[in-house]
Amino acid sequence: MTDTNTTDSDSTKSVVIERTFDAPMPLVWAMWTDADHFAAWYGPTGARIPVAKMDVTVGGKRHVCMEMDTPNGAMQMWFVGEYLEVSPHTRLVYTESMSNADGDVMTAGDMEMPEGMPTTTKVIVELTDRNSKTAMVMTHVGVPADSPGAQGWNMALDKLTAHITDAA
Amino acid sequence: MTATLTSGFSGEIIDINGISGDDDDRLTVTFAALANSTRRAILAHLAQGAATVNELAEPFDMKLPAVSKHLKVLERAGLIVRGQHAQFRPCALDAAPIAQIADWTEQYRPMWEARFDRMDDYLTRLQHHTEHRPEEADNNDD
Repeated sequence: MTDTNTTDSDSTKSVVIERTFDAPMPLVWAMWTDADHFAAWYGPTGARIPVAKMDVTVGGKRHVCMEMDTPNGAMQMWFVGEYLEVSPHTRLVYTESMSNADGDVMTAGDMEMPEGMPTTTKVIVELTDRNSKTAMVMTHVGVPADSPGAQGWNMALDKLTAHITDAA
Repeated sequence: MTATLTSGFSGEIIDINGISGDDDDRLTVTFAALANSTRRAILAHLAQGAATVNELAEPFDMKLPAVSKHLKVLERAGLIVRGQHAQFRPCALDAAPIAQIADWTEQYRPMWEARFDRMDDYLTRLQHHTEHRPEEADNNDD
């Protein structure tokens, strides 16, 4: 829990996870940028990734489908996003939003979840060589301050987190 | 409808959300209460200190019963507590449920940890494979 940081630029928390993999940087990079490799680890056990389109260039789009069997039949969850930073083998930044199969961003209301539930997040992957192993730092920012869908949410949080901080 | 989302999910899907059932329900109530600009404005007002219904109604072009409705939603969500003075029943903010939401990104941690466990296994298999079947190494080139 100690490696969960609050970033300075965002009023929301991030999840930060550090891992070292016994693999060279280009291969760990491919885990995130090659659709076949990505599909092999990203979904939870029992889930499939039937679609993973990735245009890994700055401004390029990503579109990922996660599919799993439920008692009510197969259920699909779609995600869209955009690559914000692409520095091969070292740094990757992309956004992720819930979407439909056409790639249209879904609001919390569309997903039949309470409005205000954050739907857009940002993932930052940083890789460093450690004697032919690869150290990876993954930062998952809950609600980017600049995401349009997050504005109402941020407004609520901005006003209230100050109070909580005082009360804590 | 959130119940459908949640109950239709197998354990694995709840794992995707990274939110356990009880927490999920509580978050749902809190998010629903926050999903209204008037109620957020009321909470922002209360963040400055306790206030009566009349004081809270003042900035809004709204009848008292309408404001009371919003206060009931906030009270059910545990976001405010109300005093027992029959006449005034001053409202005060209870920050605990919001503190829980402020921490919600932490719910993602177990999901990512599990993913990276799988990435680790996959990398091991992949490289083991490549050693024994060198013809596959070409497929891994960028």
